[in-house]
Amino acid sequence: MFEQLVSPKSVAVVGASENPMKIGYAIMKNLVEGKYGGEIYPVNRSAETILNMKSYSSLKDIRNSVDLCVIAVPASLSLEVVREAIQCNIPFIVLIPGGFSETGEQGKQLEENIMSIIKNSGTRLIGPNTVGVYFPHSNLNTALTPPDRVSFPKPGSISFISQSGALGLLTMDSISDLGIGISAFINLGNRIDVDEIELIKYFKNDPKTKSIAVYLESVNNGREFYETLKEVNRVKPIVVLKSGRTASSAKAASLHTGALGTDDRIFNGMLRQAGVARAYNEVELIDYARVLSYSPLPDGKNVAIVTTAGGVGVITVDYISATEHGMGMNIASLSAETKEKIKASIISFGSAENPVDLTADGSIEAYDSVLSALQEDDNVNIIVSYALPQTPKMNMGIVDVISKYIHAKKPVIVGVIGSKLGTDLIREFERRQIPAFPSIERVVNSVRALYDYSEFRRGEMNE
Amino acid sequence: MNNADEFIKEIKINGKSEFCIKTALKNMGITVPQSVIIDNIPEKLDMSYPVVLKVSDESILHKSDVGGVSISIRTFEELKARLVKMKKLFPKSQFMVEEMVEEGIEIIVGISRDKVFGLSIMLGMGGTMTEIYHDVTFRLIPVNRYDCDRMIDEVSIGKFTENGFRGHKIDRNALIEFLIKISSIGEAGGNLIDQMDLNPVKINGSKIFVLDAKIMGEL
Repeated sequence: MFEQLVSPKSVAVVGASENPMKIGYAIMKNLVEGKYGGEIYPVNRSAETILNMKSYSSLKDIRNSVDLCVIAVPASLSLEVVREAIQCNIPFIVLIPGGFSETGEQGKQLEENIMSIIKNSGTRLIGPNTVGVYFPHSNLNTALTPPDRVSFPKPGSISFISQSGALGLLTMDSISDLGIGISAFINLGNRIDVDEIELIKYFKNDPKTKSIAVYLESVNNGREFYETLKEVNRVKPIVVLKSGRTASSAKAASLHTGALGTDDRIFNGMLRQAGVARAYNEVELIDYARVLSYSPLPDGKNVAIVTTAGGVGVITVDYISATEHGMGMNIASLSAETKEKIKASIISFGSAENPVDLTADGSIEAYDSVLSALQEDDNVNIIVSYALPQTPKMNMGIVDVISKYIHAKKPVIVGVIGSKLGTDLIREFERRQIPAFPSIERVVNSVRALYDYSEFRRGEMNE
Repeated sequence: MNNADEFIKEIKINGKSEFCIKTALKNMGITVPQSVIIDNIPEKLDMSYPVVLKVSDESILHKSDVGGVSISIRTFEELKARLVKMKKLFPKSQFMVEEMVEEGIEIIVGISRDKVFGLSIMLGMGGTMTEIYHDVTFRLIPVNRYDCDRMIDEVSIGKFTENGFRGHKIDRNALIEFLIKISSIGEAGGNLIDQMDLNPVKINGSKIFVLDAKIMGEL
């Protein structure tokens, strides 16, 4: 359905420019520097060439088939370009400019005009008022931000749908630092045509997508949205960040997108009913999408913890077991056999109880034995393994050890605290699609999200 | 036993007074307190005391706010005296005398309509005090057993299941059956129902009594 959008063979940019102050320049730069491999057709009425590429005076002038048309001219000129794109049978338009329904009556009228010609055509439209789309597996980046300002994530397995453009760009920029990848980014903007429902359905069957992250300020077709979440979430986990939880934020959201508000308690219940994880900020959104994308599902809520820092272990126990400021999950009681195995592999003053404390003596080999013992213990459902850089025996080899167990039956969630070796460790874990998080709180929140999703899947099976 | 479609039909025919809703609920197998409708002071009344006296009038939605509810009436003499007073407040209305259910935990069950998501079912702890506790949870209608099971644990009602607490116990299965019946009313009512409040509902083990009931909508 969206194949030509996600991996188009050719892209036209209407409003392409060599003026660095123009959006049409940033989009061209992102396409070129992103190493997009298909044909690029800059369209500009007055230029001969743009970034050393032949420029066309109009879409009709191109005479080759175009899969995707990015429109970067002002709103007032966009209706004509949309009409021309439809005449050229271009399957997808990304309509970048703002200045539509979000600005008032005149903009709304213009938006409705575009909506009506799109509706009666074979062309689908993303936006308007969008920062663009980014499909790293096809090296396709139509974002309007200059590439020297923000980074874009490498190819990965999370599809990211965002109603807000800036939040999407900033989130992508932040996660890029740790090498976190995504499989798609689409900014819906005013979503006059393509909406989150269709995209979620599409990503359900997209082999590159393993989880779907969605940021929304409002929903239009509530029932269809719910049915879609429920259906897709059974196959591919979905995480939703929905703002407008309170009366004051709902008002801000409504000013932003002209949205209709729902009592947040109902929205929350709807997400729970669909088994969808709810994130409360952009960090949680990607954290949960990662853990759900990378990890096998646990069979229960008994957590074992491995650490080389006693304090980190105890705080994790607090967070895992507490019902306030905590997850209300269980700390696994290790079997006698497991404890014997652990004792044999760690230093005498370490702890073979849960949390397993290897102390500052903890070596990569000790981790290996402990993780192996925990994987075999029936009392354990989820393993939290810290990889902490403060001890002499810790090194990048820990990544190989944990990799051995990541495709075992029980999920291993990794916690890393620190900024030097710590950051290197997280990047390397991420490269191997092992869920690693840079704080205790983010580790336990992700554990909970993974457990909740496994509960939903179990409940679905029994229903 | 009636199904939800028959419940809706009954309300359409008989009206949305508390008595009519409760009768229709009773016909669906939902327990409501024993009650009678009276216009005037009767010769005698065959009920077990204590009883509650309520004005029965569809046009009065918040009866207790306007003096239309009198509780803990322990004798027939007392009932007569209270009825005389209440008739002065509502000279044109009918009245309902209802046996009081004293034992049990008060909860609230409701249906409400959202512009985007349509009908949802609500379960909350505290009955008439729910607004203070903020101990409520929602699901879209229809719900299945798993949804109801989760709802019960999302509010403190779940803590009264299994072993109960200080002699108070809630039978989880009975509550799940109850919630599914209420959800089916929403499903059957569709666009005709905007809101339904069963508040309070009293639970004692597997006995679930609807003590007050309101429906709003185009029924």
